[in-house]
Amino acid sequence: MSDHAHNAPPNPYLEPRRTQAETRALEERVAKLEQALIEKGIVSRDTLDHVAEIYENDIGPMNGARVVARAWTDPAYKQRLLENATAAIAELGYSGLQGEHMVVVENSANVHNVVVCTLCSCYPWPVLGLPPTWYKSPPYRSRVVIDPRGVLAELGLDLPADIEVRVWDSSAEIRYLVLPERPRGTESSSEAELAALVTRDAMIGVAKVEA
Amino acid sequence: MPRKSGELVFHHEWERRAFALAIALCEQGHYDWDEFREHLIASIAAAGETPETPNPAAPGYYEHWLRSLERTLAAKGLLPG
Repeated sequence: MSDHAHNAPPNPYLEPRRTQAETRALEERVAKLEQALIEKGIVSRDTLDHVAEIYENDIGPMNGARVVARAWTDPAYKQRLLENATAAIAELGYSGLQGEHMVVVENSANVHNVVVCTLCSCYPWPVLGLPPTWYKSPPYRSRVVIDPRGVLAELGLDLPADIEVRVWDSSAEIRYLVLPERPRGTESSSEAELAALVTRDAMIGVAKVEA
Repeated sequence: MPRKSGELVFHHEWERRAFALAIALCEQGHYDWDEFREHLIASIAAAGETPETPNPAAPGYYEHWLRSLERTLAAKGLLPG
């Protein structure tokens, strides 16, 4: 699952599966569908371009990072976030598809949380953008439930045995976001400086935030 | 495994366009996201891939996505014939 580990076996799920000709066939299939829907007046080219741009440029883990940094620096906000994450996240302007029922789970010295979608690829888009390839692959989806410590170790996160690992399956209505631990030595950092430290992987729960 | 947040979201233009179609049509109220998601779950489950049994002939993620979009539109009578 990791191209980070030097001795990891190759992962067939992350290899390209299609030849150029097969890719062209897929391109044509999508183009035909798109064209027909546009001609019928069901959707416009502008709308499609706009949607793609939003998800590529405006929605991404920088949104979640702002939420995390606010929670680290504002105890009242953190409390609201843990009590009603959807509303607290909307306070910062983030809402929409796949963010309707948000739950934030907090890491501590004793508990580490990690998020998966075992059935498909459910993921909190408004705060994290679209999921990375490995999140959607069978190895992660099934193995993190069975052996979370093993999977996390492969991803470079070795957790002490006395830390409880909780796995959250997003496949119901609910979308989870991990509130990572604030790293030591950041007591004097500003909210913006803190937000710059927070990674996507830390908010999925497969990494820690490093100062 | 990328350690930063800068991973490519789409590897091909058709993936980007299939993604945008599914979102735009849902946001315009042609179907509920759950309807699409049920097709996606079913398509992925039917491929039957597990960590132990990878099958490169099986659909990749956005192929499942495209198939689910087509099925969702067909169920709504929106699939152009």
